[in-house]
Amino acid sequence: MAKRLLQGNEAVLLGAVKAGATYFAGYPISPSSEVLMAASVYAASHPELRFLQAEDEIASANAIIGASLAGAKSFTATSGPGYSLMQEAIGYAHKLGVPTVFVDVQRVGPATGMPTMPGQGDILQTRYGSSGDYTSIVFYPSTVAECYEYTIHAFNCAEESRSPVILLSDAFLGHLNEVVDLDAIDVPVVPRTLEPLASGHTRLFSGVATYPDGEPATADGDEFIRQYEEAKALRLEVADRYAFYEYGWNKDADTLVIAFGITRRIAQPLAPHFALFRPIRIWPVLQDQLREIAPRYKRLVVIEGSDGQYASVVERVLYRDVHRVPLLGGRMSLEAVREGLERIGLLPRELAQATVS
Amino acid sequence: MSYKDKIKTDLFPTIWCPGCGIGLIMTQLATVMDDLGLDKSNTVMVTGIGCTGRMGAYMQFDSVYTLHGRTLPVAEAIATVRPELNVIVVSGDGDLTSIGGNHLLHAIRRNPRIKVLCNNNEIYGLTGGQTGPTTPVGTKTVSSPAGATFSPVNLQGLVNTNPNAFYAKTTVYHQGQMRRAIKEAIEWPGFAFVDITSQCIENNGRRIGFPSANEMLNYYKKEYRQAPPGSTQLANHQLGIVKGKPAETEPVPVGAASGNGSGEA
Repeated sequence: MAKRLLQGNEAVLLGAVKAGATYFAGYPISPSSEVLMAASVYAASHPELRFLQAEDEIASANAIIGASLAGAKSFTATSGPGYSLMQEAIGYAHKLGVPTVFVDVQRVGPATGMPTMPGQGDILQTRYGSSGDYTSIVFYPSTVAECYEYTIHAFNCAEESRSPVILLSDAFLGHLNEVVDLDAIDVPVVPRTLEPLASGHTRLFSGVATYPDGEPATADGDEFIRQYEEAKALRLEVADRYAFYEYGWNKDADTLVIAFGITRRIAQPLAPHFALFRPIRIWPVLQDQLREIAPRYKRLVVIEGSDGQYASVVERVLYRDVHRVPLLGGRMSLEAVREGLERIGLLPRELAQATVS
Repeated sequence: MSYKDKIKTDLFPTIWCPGCGIGLIMTQLATVMDDLGLDKSNTVMVTGIGCTGRMGAYMQFDSVYTLHGRTLPVAEAIATVRPELNVIVVSGDGDLTSIGGNHLLHAIRRNPRIKVLCNNNEIYGLTGGQTGPTTPVGTKTVSSPAGATFSPVNLQGLVNTNPNAFYAKTTVYHQGQMRRAIKEAIEWPGFAFVDITSQCIENNGRRIGFPSANEMLNYYKKEYRQAPPGSTQLANHQLGIVKGKPAETEPVPVGAASGNGSGEA
């Protein structure tokens, strides 16, 4: 197909279809609603995609888990409070080992917050949002073409890791229209891995800690640890094959900018003056890559749409101080980036002059 | 074949207390499953949190033990993806009608082909006997020392908001009637809800004056009566099956037409 104009949220739907998704459930919420609407339109003429506009995000999240168990590659899309409501189900999918995809088009929170404004405040929620310990895999594209590409990767990774994989986006990226050539993006599709329900077994898919025969293991720490370590090992091993990142711009600069998602695009005018590290796999954190690249630079600056969520992770991984440029209140703009860099004394003279002109 | 083939008897004894009513439901469900030829290649069980939810672990089917309150969206999605399967939900009144109440409301509205057996013991048993959404007004529980304050949820009224739906009222004492209700529910071409009054002797019955489970069963025998044939509404303590008009369209696992067009010609 030729080049076309496509919106980030619509690209997610097309990526899901390409990856073999046959079930979508969702609840309308800005700024992710276009995924739901595009799914409903697609499903009307492609009956292989089952569509449910559910009563709420809790139902949506649990429905995609049921659909996946029944044999469908499934997904949902949500934002802000909707994503918060899905946390319990995400933990449940981790416990069951169910491949499915949650798309979180971030807006400004907490609570209802700023429904149509972009934010990146769900970084830690995607890692720690459900109770207990589990191993999250999260991707965050930066372009409309990447929304398509990494949606396919998310489905593939979900199958291989037998876990709910999160695809992050934001109000800016989700509503961005760009010219893309989807045919130029070739990601092989991983087939279904989980044997569907009613295949002749008597399995128990239980959120409760149980032994393999279904008996409760609710007071057996050794069994809990055995199952937890097994799941963790699989997810880390699979995540290794999806260690996507970008390292570029002016690698000889003395400061490394770390930015991801739409923020990396906004910061593009900084390219001559800084090196760039862009994690695409947000979780598990790209620890080895950061530890290899960061020591080449005198200073690190994390530019992100939250008050230092990813910066705190980088500090923890590298054991060194990180400068922060938080873009809050939906002010995800070059102007806000400039202001933030100026505040910490890192705004290049050329960019400061550009502001004046 | 026997109903015992549907049950993992090697896992016995169950975790259920002596005198619990859940086993009486499992026996009748297993009997109906055996009669109707339900097996692990054509049937899936979905159960919720609470004592009742353990039933899935004891039966010879793939079974999904969901989060608290979330049986219905899981079951509905399974039925959508695999319309050829029998999807049987078994859970308690607290799970289905309190924390899962919103899903119940909308499952009734969408009329998916799932069958719900509600073990209605009028109490939160597993957590120690707190008042629940079905606890009769005035009942003293560990969380309502002066007696339950609010009217129980009207399950029949809720289910019958959809003229296509199936509602049955039965008790664990009335085994033959319960078996019939379960059988007709499984055969029903849409959403079916079987409301089964059952005893929780340990965390409710003894506290409200029943010396043993046997007295609770005798109480059901004394208090409950069959509704007159053809009843379209069951009075309090009446047993029977109220069937709506079956939906004209079969459930189709299709995109925008998900659900089965309940209420539409």
